Amino acid sequence: MSTIPENLYYTEEHEWISVEGDVATIGITDFAQSSLGDIVFVELPDSETEFEDGDSFGVVESIKSVSDLYTPLSGTVLEKNEEVEDSPEKLNENAFGSWLVKLKMSDSSQVEKLLSAEKYKAFCETNS
Amino acid sequence: MKRTSLYDSHLDLGAKMVEFGGFEMPIQYSNLKQEALAVRNSAGMFDVSHMGEFFIKGKDAAKFVDHLITNDFLNAGQLKAVYSPLCREDGTVVDDLIAYKITDEFVMLCVNAANLDKDWDWIQSKIGDFEVQLSNESDNYSLIALQGPKSFEILKEIDPELNDIPYYSLQTNNEGSTPLIYARTGYTGEDGFEIFGPHTQIMNLWAKLLAKDVTPCGLGARDVLRLEVCYPLYGQEITDELTPFDAGLKWTVKLQKPSFVGKSSLENAKSSFSNLKLVLDKGIPRIGYKVEDSNGQIIGEVTSGSMSVVLGKGVAMARVNKEKYTSDSELFIDIRGKKFKANRHKGPFVKGGHK
Repeated sequence: MSTIPENLYYTEEHEWISVEGDVATIGITDFAQSSLGDIVFVELPDSETEFEDGDSFGVVESIKSVSDLYTPLSGTVLEKNEEVEDSPEKLNENAFGSWLVKLKMSDSSQVEKLLSAEKYKAFCETNS
Repeated sequence: MKRTSLYDSHLDLGAKMVEFGGFEMPIQYSNLKQEALAVRNSAGMFDVSHMGEFFIKGKDAAKFVDHLITNDFLNAGQLKAVYSPLCREDGTVVDDLIAYKITDEFVMLCVNAANLDKDWDWIQSKIGDFEVQLSNESDNYSLIALQGPKSFEILKEIDPELNDIPYYSLQTNNEGSTPLIYARTGYTGEDGFEIFGPHTQIMNLWAKLLAKDVTPCGLGARDVLRLEVCYPLYGQEITDELTPFDAGLKWTVKLQKPSFVGKSSLENAKSSFSNLKLVLDKGIPRIGYKVEDSNGQIIGEVTSGSMSVVLGKGVAMARVNKEKYTSDSELFIDIRGKKFKANRHKGPFVKGGHK
């Protein structure tokens, strides 16, 4: 198991979230990239797209599989990481350094239901 | 769920296991791309022990198999293998299989695991007056597919008795009730062997191949490899509702044979489908995605799709309605609501190196 940065929030869908004010930055964890294998395609939403928590906001594809990305937070897309769309392998190389979208949250209280690094680590250990 | 004799080895090797054809099978060991490329460039091996083996023995064995399948088996030489659909009277396909002629009086059929019971019942029902005994040997056999340009060299080091037999040929000493059979067949387009044998013998062989650094490959790599060379898969390109013509297998139907099951239907069969090979500049096609023309009219769907590890592009086989497009139609694949241009490709996406 790779290290799990302490300063981030997590979901059981193996996403990481960093929060600054009402802006959330979402990516996938190292666990996610490693179980997907070679990531060959990433599709992300354009800015101004609105999502409710639990919505699928994009997909990551490996050679053989398509996986939906789910946002744990409601909000509006401020920006997507086009660099990752152009070079999906960046997610394999550095999952925690390759964000996917920045979201302006419509309900900051939703952050409370995210997992802490400690809880996510425990979740990975019991589910791997 | 059933397990093959190599199950423990798969776990030791850290394989990710999935259900396939009623068996717990390795889908991937460490890295699918590396597994697939090992087969293209060197050698990889697959546990395909889930596949079924039937013995047909008796005076009429070869004649009976020739009657069952659409391809020509009667004129195949001894120690030759023949790929063929197995059809119903109405021309639809029960399964696709390889028939191995050990002698005229001893034929082995290798069938898809998921179709085993259906095949058994069908074949049993067709015996009639043929003098044959049918037996299901699937529980007695394990099966490794060793594939890739270095296959012969490696296998020869393990068994010096192995000859450089031609493609679609076999070698066996035909000893014992579960004889070891080397067949120069496979499902990757590369040179290689499928080795059928008793469990212990195959477990030993697997260990020896591992010691020779042959890359263990999962079903994921196998599926990408067979798609790259456009080999059909039962359940996708071939189904219970389709004839061999619908599935692009015209070459396996020998209408000049005096008789075989399904002949009269196939003589009059006209297929309304074409099987296209499509390459995308962007996007990855997947099974079930719709194929459309430039007006958005749906003309068919993807039967197999993936990223090709050799081309680094999305590739697909698609079954489309012949009447809904012309050879110069621009084609698109609908991927989650977005249209991606699909270019028609002549021949397999990747040229395998088999002999």
